[in-house]
Amino acid sequence: MKLGNLIIAGLTTGSIYAVFAVCVSVWYRVSNILNLAVGDFAMAGALGVDNLYRVKSWPLPAAIAATLAVVIVFAYLYDLVVLRLAQDGPRRQEGIVITFFFTFALSFFIDGVAKILFGTDVHAAPALWNGGSLTVASSLHIERAGVLVLACALIIGSAFWLYIRYTLGGKAMEACGENPLGARIAGIDTRRYRRHIFVGTAVIAAVFGIVESPITGFTYLSGATISLTGFIAAAYGGFRKPGRALLAGLAIGILEALLGGYVSAEYGDTVLYAILAALVLGWPRAMGFESAVSG
Amino acid sequence: MNPVNPAAPGSPAAPGSPAGSATRAGSATPAAPALAVRGLSVAYGDMVAVHDATFSIAAGEACAITGPNGNGKSSLLMGIAGLIRRRGRVEIFGAVAPSGDVRWAARHGLTLVPERRQLYPGLSALDNIMLGCYCWTSSLRRARNSRPFGTAIDLFPELKGQLRQQAGTLSGGQQQMVAIMRGLASDPKILAVDEPCLGLAEAVARRVYAALAEIHEAGTTLIVVEEAPKRALTICNRRVEVRNGVVLDTP
Amino acid sequence: MKALRSTGLVVVAGVVVVLVFGQQYAGSVFVLAVCYAIVTAGMAVQLGFSQQIVFSQCVFMGAGAYGVALLNTHFSMPSLLATPVVMVGCGVAALLLGSVVTRASGLALAVATLMLPLIATGYVSSAGYLGGSVGAPLTGNLWNGSSTESVAIGNGLITVAFLAVAVFVAVRILSSDIGLELYALGADERTAAAMGIRTPRRKLELFVLGSVFAAVGGAAYAGTQLFVPATLVDPTAELALLIMLFVGGRRSVLGAVVGAVVIQYLYGASSWVSVNILIIEGILLTVVLLVDPEGLAGILASLLRRLGASTHATPATGVPATTPVVVATPRAIPSAPFDPPAPSAPADPDHTLLTCAGLGKEYGGLTVLDDVTLALPARGLFGLCGPNGAGKSTLLNIIGGSVAPSRGRVLLDGADVTRLPPQLRFGLGVSRTFQTVHLIRDRSVLDNVAVACLTSHRSSIVSRIARSALAQARASAADTLDRLGMAAMSGRDVSSLTLESQRMVELARAIAARPRLLLLDEPASGLSEQQRHRLGELLREFGDMTCVLLVEHDLDLVAQVSQRIFVLAGGRLVFDAGPAEFRVSPLVNSLLIGEFAPRRPLGG
Repeated sequence: MKLGNLIIAGLTTGSIYAVFAVCVSVWYRVSNILNLAVGDFAMAGALGVDNLYRVKSWPLPAAIAATLAVVIVFAYLYDLVVLRLAQDGPRRQEGIVITFFFTFALSFFIDGVAKILFGTDVHAAPALWNGGSLTVASSLHIERAGVLVLACALIIGSAFWLYIRYTLGGKAMEACGENPLGARIAGIDTRRYRRHIFVGTAVIAAVFGIVESPITGFTYLSGATISLTGFIAAAYGGFRKPGRALLAGLAIGILEALLGGYVSAEYGDTVLYAILAALVLGWPRAMGFESAVSG
Repeated sequence: MNPVNPAAPGSPAAPGSPAGSATRAGSATPAAPALAVRGLSVAYGDMVAVHDATFSIAAGEACAITGPNGNGKSSLLMGIAGLIRRRGRVEIFGAVAPSGDVRWAARHGLTLVPERRQLYPGLSALDNIMLGCYCWTSSLRRARNSRPFGTAIDLFPELKGQLRQQAGTLSGGQQQMVAIMRGLASDPKILAVDEPCLGLAEAVARRVYAALAEIHEAGTTLIVVEEAPKRALTICNRRVEVRNGVVLDTP
Repeated sequence: MKALRSTGLVVVAGVVVVLVFGQQYAGSVFVLAVCYAIVTAGMAVQLGFSQQIVFSQCVFMGAGAYGVALLNTHFSMPSLLATPVVMVGCGVAALLLGSVVTRASGLALAVATLMLPLIATGYVSSAGYLGGSVGAPLTGNLWNGSSTESVAIGNGLITVAFLAVAVFVAVRILSSDIGLELYALGADERTAAAMGIRTPRRKLELFVLGSVFAAVGGAAYAGTQLFVPATLVDPTAELALLIMLFVGGRRSVLGAVVGAVVIQYLYGASSWVSVNILIIEGILLTVVLLVDPEGLAGILASLLRRLGASTHATPATGVPATTPVVVATPRAIPSAPFDPPAPSAPADPDHTLLTCAGLGKEYGGLTVLDDVTLALPARGLFGLCGPNGAGKSTLLNIIGGSVAPSRGRVLLDGADVTRLPPQLRFGLGVSRTFQTVHLIRDRSVLDNVAVACLTSHRSSIVSRIARSALAQARASAADTLDRLGMAAMSGRDVSSLTLESQRMVELARAIAARPRLLLLDEPASGLSEQQRHRLGELLREFGDMTCVLLVEHDLDLVAQVSQRIFVLAGGRLVFDAGPAEFRVSPLVNSLLIGEFAPRRPLGG
């Protein structure tokens, strides 16, 4: 069934957008910084594992562990040095124009490093679950890697939701983004939460990159496109609502698949962007914009 | 040291008496004042907001910090609470506060209810109050079942119906009440309130002061920062005046 | 004059480099950089100065480049002639596109325009006549000289000329009175509208300006590089433009130019650099932003300021830390009798200025205002009180125009203004202050007040290339500050003032507009007793000249100064009488002063 398969394909890519959108949203809520480098962390994860496993012949678990370790250390250091200076140093930076550009510069940096380390070709991490696509209900096909992506999305999403809803630490994390001064008054270490979430976001992105790269393949520039779509989906969630960002990501994925399948493979994406633009212009409030960042 | 101690004595301690400080295990001296400030200075760049402030407040007292606006009262309080950089020495019940740590004061018995409340607008009022417990526990369940939390919720029973509402949608007076409840949930030995009635209607301001008086009567040391001394002095027995960043102690 | 200085600098530097380096590598990189600089100059005006986050410059640069290429290849039009043709074409396209796009603001605007490079890339790479995903070649240089040397120099001089014009136009606009409008627009769109700035129109003008600049840059690009790559309309091209803008200085036209030159030279500097260009750009942008968010221009400006300060030994705005000092409260309350500027038309106390008829407002299911009717004459001071959440601010917003009522009408001088936007009401003489201070940071008190004195609202941006009435606006503002006894702080940066001083500046701004109806939202909040007393005197004087509606919690103040007081409770008007009745009314007493809940002992 064509429609069903398109929707499943859409859900798969959509869940990738959704995850990145959620990462951007959550990180923004806690720190008031828009992380445009999520896609690049994903790319780094995928290409890193590929490089260690395929080129240097490391065993797969070691390759994954090492790559994630490098991502963690790097993200930690970046927050420690750059973001701390940007937000807490003598010259406090505020406003969307600035929050944007630090991670924007970071994404350039990561892409540049990736280009040197991994070259310019398309690569992918090895599939974690080998085999052809699965067949469900006799006519719906779904890639195994796609199942993994959805499963990961579900697990991480639920874990995060539970954390926010049912632990004091989760609420404290939200407080950091709602009112940093108020949070500090309550004894919350805003800097530490921010750092942990930044690192967490980077690792989650890397994991997703590893899991989903067998489907699409990555080059050193792919990160930018994913970051962009994640950013867009997060914007549709108003940046502060990960739930809406998730739904927005899924919707964009499905819409993309449907347009590609029914309208035109060539111009499908173009039509998608035109629709997204029209939605924002026509119904900004419904799309969740007035509640978002102000300049 | 865990500041969650069993119930404080029911009657307010007379100024200077050691009764109030006996509740804190292991305090330095038998007569350690609740708050001792020596040579505190706060500067914003070139502008000195507070200059060499020295005073102390005994346990169980209710002290009003007054003075014209823009003269350093809030800066003084923020400096004591460790929320902005300061020079000088601050002791809470004899323990010296390290100057860099913004969380130290909250964890050692001094809770600030800041000017303009500083609530978390997107979270519910209940969550706001619950986060007051953050400085002494990391478990949501313990916080919810604790005595300080219960006491805080009971302080303004008229708000019980609105607790699930987002804090940002509450009126100014209600927000002030939530801010005080949040402060109380941290089970403070010293509650410092900065301009509790800013922008509030008369009736609400009176209600807030009534609640502050209750808190003081239960044994908590109270510090109230107010521009107009009239209202603060209805519940305070001590007054510290701040003019031009300089503290003038008045008995 | 600033514009001539900047333009002169560009011309001299440009001509020198072109003539000295000619067709050498350094020269050709410079010419390429100049093409980009034309684009970034426009971005400095639109993105940096006016904070309109728009991502469509690369699309218009591409449009300009492709336009020239097509005209040249298919119609044999010389590139130099094709440039103005393309400019006009893109201008029209920008006008059409912009009128749709600029309906949005802030983030919505950013996301909508973010789609444009994506759409353009998709279209261009599949469009055969544009050369598909490779690009369009052309043969027409901007300067059709006989030798490669003369072509290179000719191209260079022409592009420098384009840049010079662009810089001149941009700097003229930014330093004019409309420049102040744009800065206010960028700082806070809603307040700008309340101050009379025609925000939709300005946003459209900015969009067209930025797009036209980009198109010219693109045309120059095509005429000098002789090839239009399809990647010119890519999002990465937009990102590259943003890097140039931010490294150079987003709010400074010259900074934007320098940024383009620096980045382009980096690209071409050495093979090592071009291989590692992404890393270098990433680090460069991060470091520049950390040191100064205003980029290289900002760094240079602070250096110059510090050098200037040390040679002239002028004290900084603060006071040396050796003496204890108040956190700055210059005398904000007049000591001499105040003489407010008269409103433009004489105020007849019998004439009804404002009528609110049956106003109602619902938000979702919540009724905030219910059947509120009142009338105000052209002169007098009126108080509006009520418990929190009674609808006072909503009523003020409806009268001011930033909120539309669900029901009812607002009449000003008998004319129905219910649907009139705030900027047009400002033009009719309605001026207001806000509960939270909404001043423009990083600008002086004088400029903040001058925003209300601007007369340029109806003029178009283009007219500011020729003339500017900024000096007059500043003079009016200085006059108002003088009368209020605030002249001493007129040069100070607004962000360095205390809250009360900022409130006084907001008040000064509202009065400087010579309003017929002055709406004040809790002006006494945060003021000391003494200051309230002075404020009361001030308010009484205003009330003698014009109509003032005062929302306040300080009942004593309201009773002292108002000649009539309205009380709102639960969205309804429950009291409308003079101060004498106000003081004794049992209704008012229970609502506003009231009894409180009986004391309960803290339990355990």
